[in-house]
Amino acid sequence: MVHALHEARRVLKPHSILIDLRPAIAHREVGIVSAGRYTRLGKIHECLDQDRAADQAIARVLREGLFESRSRIRLEVRRVYSTFAEFHDAICESVQAGSLTAYKRMMQRAEIACRESRECKIVTKGPLVLTVLAKRTGYPQRGRGHESGNPPHHREGRPGADPKRG
Amino acid sequence: MPLHIDPERNEVRALKRVTNWRDKRVLDIGCGDGRLSLRLARLGALVHGIDPDRKLILKARTGLPNHLAARVRYRVGKAGGLAFRGESFDLVVFSWSF
Repeated sequence: MVHALHEARRVLKPHSILIDLRPAIAHREVGIVSAGRYTRLGKIHECLDQDRAADQAIARVLREGLFESRSRIRLEVRRVYSTFAEFHDAICESVQAGSLTAYKRMMQRAEIACRESRECKIVTKGPLVLTVLAKRTGYPQRGRGHESGNPPHHREGRPGADPKRG
Repeated sequence: MPLHIDPERNEVRALKRVTNWRDKRVLDIGCGDGRLSLRLARLGALVHGIDPDRKLILKARTGLPNHLAARVRYRVGKAGGLAFRGESFDLVVFSWSF
């Protein structure tokens, strides 16, 4: 993940921005809409380790001085599935086979709810976080990543400066 | 009605708030089936979408409308090894990736 951010920085023009848009660290809510009414079914208790790791990667490149934080926006996003089959397929596609059991209970509830109501749509909703980082072009500050023996991949020297001479 | 992501368009409103996308060269990392790439192209951006999943790139190419064909390019690629020259993009977007 950190390597991907280093690569993104490499292809960015000076002072340009990187936007990281992904689900916030929160469990998504599932509900159904029937006859114009929304009924909450519960939350999907999915593994959020990847999201936490992504947050740590962002924090690391900020510490390394490769980017600076510009803004962070939290927004609510819904996905609307017109049939249970569509919801089922989307969940199966997006989830690794090993962790599918975490979704089984929710899928059962959704299936029952759809069977019991006419013209039922399934809705998942959860917060997204949009983080804006600006590429820093000066000599990166030393962060914990550097001190721990993992220097930034794309350090840029000051014009005319020789890092060996200090 | 097929699957509808973000019918309220909150995502696109937030993207519009953070920058002006018109004629900006944008790299969409983890573009998947191209959903966000198309939204960015509609905001005026010139988008290069990459994703490691060949099937999704094929789906993205198939779903690319003619009127946006000049603004969007898709290719198979990984975030950890970008096949683009340095300092060639105005914006990079990590879309639901990592």
